[in-house]
Amino acid sequence: MSDPSKDKSDELIHPVARPFLWLDAPWLKSAMIWVFGVLALAFAAVDLFHHRHEYVPFAETYGFYAWWGFASFVAAVMIGWFGIRKFLGREENFWDKESHDD
Amino acid sequence: MIEAFHIEALAQVSPAWPVIIGGLIAAIIPNFTLRKALALVVPVLALVLWFNPAAPGTYGIIEFGGFTLETFRYDPLSRIWGLVFIIAAFINAIYGLHEKDRLADTMGMIYAGAGLGAVFAGDLLTLFFFWELTAISSVFLIWGARNNAAYKAGLRYLAIHILSGVLLLAGAVIRASETGSWAFDETLTIETTGGFLIFLAFGIKCAFPLLHNWLQDAYPKATITGAVVLSAFTTKLAVYALARGYAGTDILIYIGAVMTAFPVFFAVVENDLRKVLAYSLNNQLGFMVVGVGVGTELALNGAAAHAFVHIIYKALLFMSMGAVLLRVGTVKASELGGLFKSMPATAVFCLIGAASISAFPLFSGFVAKALTLAAVAQEGHVIIWFVLIFASAGVLEHSGIKIPYFAFFAHDRGLRVREAPANMLIAMFLAAALCLWFGIFYGNLYEMLPFPEAALYYEPYTFDHIVGQMQLLLGAMFAFTLLVRFGLYPEEKRSENVDFDWTYRRFGDGALRWIWAMMDRLTAAIGNVINAVGRKLGGRMFEAFSPIGALSRDIPSGLLAIWTSALLAVVLLIAYLAP
Repeated sequence: MSDPSKDKSDELIHPVARPFLWLDAPWLKSAMIWVFGVLALAFAAVDLFHHRHEYVPFAETYGFYAWWGFASFVAAVMIGWFGIRKFLGREENFWDKESHDD
Repeated sequence: MIEAFHIEALAQVSPAWPVIIGGLIAAIIPNFTLRKALALVVPVLALVLWFNPAAPGTYGIIEFGGFTLETFRYDPLSRIWGLVFIIAAFINAIYGLHEKDRLADTMGMIYAGAGLGAVFAGDLLTLFFFWELTAISSVFLIWGARNNAAYKAGLRYLAIHILSGVLLLAGAVIRASETGSWAFDETLTIETTGGFLIFLAFGIKCAFPLLHNWLQDAYPKATITGAVVLSAFTTKLAVYALARGYAGTDILIYIGAVMTAFPVFFAVVENDLRKVLAYSLNNQLGFMVVGVGVGTELALNGAAAHAFVHIIYKALLFMSMGAVLLRVGTVKASELGGLFKSMPATAVFCLIGAASISAFPLFSGFVAKALTLAAVAQEGHVIIWFVLIFASAGVLEHSGIKIPYFAFFAHDRGLRVREAPANMLIAMFLAAALCLWFGIFYGNLYEMLPFPEAALYYEPYTFDHIVGQMQLLLGAMFAFTLLVRFGLYPEEKRSENVDFDWTYRRFGDGALRWIWAMMDRLTAAIGNVINAVGRKLGGRMFEAFSPIGALSRDIPSGLLAIWTSALLAVVLLIAYLAP
């Protein structure tokens, strides 16, 4: 995050972007947790009052998509970083360092 | 509407020809402005020809060498693919207006034209011709980057695509020898040798699992414009070919499901954002392949609709990353951040592409992906359906969040660059507008699908569907913010993740080099033995027969002459008496 007060004096910032410098503010990162959390819960709560009709019966359980989306995202990130990266991650010049590949 | 455009004299002309001929003409035009004008005009001419047929049918039949080549099969399936290829060619031409590269202009047009030609091909020989032309022309968009990595990636790309063409031709020949048919239609089956080889050829171009590495290898190394152009045609042509020949082939459902899921994990950890998009492309192809595999009217509509909107939003995402690459000089996530302050319009267009691919309501991905998911669930493929829902959250992770977040937001790296050039912004604007247009006025998309009645029967904007999709997206976005907040979403690092390409680029290459070295040693050792034996034998011969040798020394030459004459007499006698 950059210093917003410094940004205001930064002449190289595009004029169109100036009204949106708050997007870079540190408070926004914390606020987004609440915004998305509340919205996700709100949409999940709709299931309490309305029965969704789905082709797959299990998808009709309360808040199915919300928790499936949450779990899928976490699984993708965890498996990616702690599975793929751990076992298949190499230094950046992995291919280029080969004498026959430069 | 269609009749109003009908020009009888052009009824037999495939939309591919003006684009290919335009490319050939561009090769001899040194003037930059004229070339660019040509690149803009030829898609318009192709569009006129696309509108031209009065009715579905096969046009442009050429009799050649005893073969009947069908160059313009115009039916609901080829129609929608043809249209989106033409749209892509036009938008790409605008995007590349700033680029002064005659070879790229030429090959870009020939490549787009070859893609159109393949889509409208009515037989396997015509398909083969255009199939190979797409490979040969498109490799120049990779080599156009003019660096060693691109050169080598281009060679690998060319090798595997030529292999695809060879398999296609071999399969077609075997099939023709068995059945006498060169037809490129639903009679293809993987249960025959010929049909299986053709399926494999399509699978290579479609980046099936384990055959996919050419995509992540080559696209990120292409030129800025080249990557955008490449993203549109090759793989979607393969999906079209599968839809044409192998719709309802069960194995495609499982292949497609794997394609949707595995790239998610690789995209999560990839630092090069154009490579992230290449993995994302693989994931999106998976949805289409599943749709083709299910093979019902709804599913095929899903595959076609997904291909149509995907070409546009994927091009938009590649365009936004191309603009970043042009201005910043890198698309490594570890080097980017805060670019919305310098490139606000590009950021907005990227967000629209991200929202489309993530299937937010009102964006094109929402109305397209829903068809496939509904078809999969309707046919009772529950596990596959769960995989696709997982992959949908994965798409949001890598293309919906990662791409715009790390490029335009995240940590401000103090990069203060100029906004993208006007032509790039116009191209991105058009693509973004189409993403919204088809998301909102989805009827325009549905009525173009191969089975419009089935599509128009489907209503994407139901309360249940919107709520379900918003739950999925917001649940995933909540997970993202939570992981970032608690430091569980690791920082992007400069790194390389090896994929299946390790098997041939490292293991296979190493094994071949070892075999080569061993062959060298073996040859040298055999040579040494032969030389030693030769030297020894030569020495003995010399000792025996040379002027100072044993025979010359001890036996008088007269006696040797007598012995020689005697031997000759014996030989003659045997020859005379022999029956």
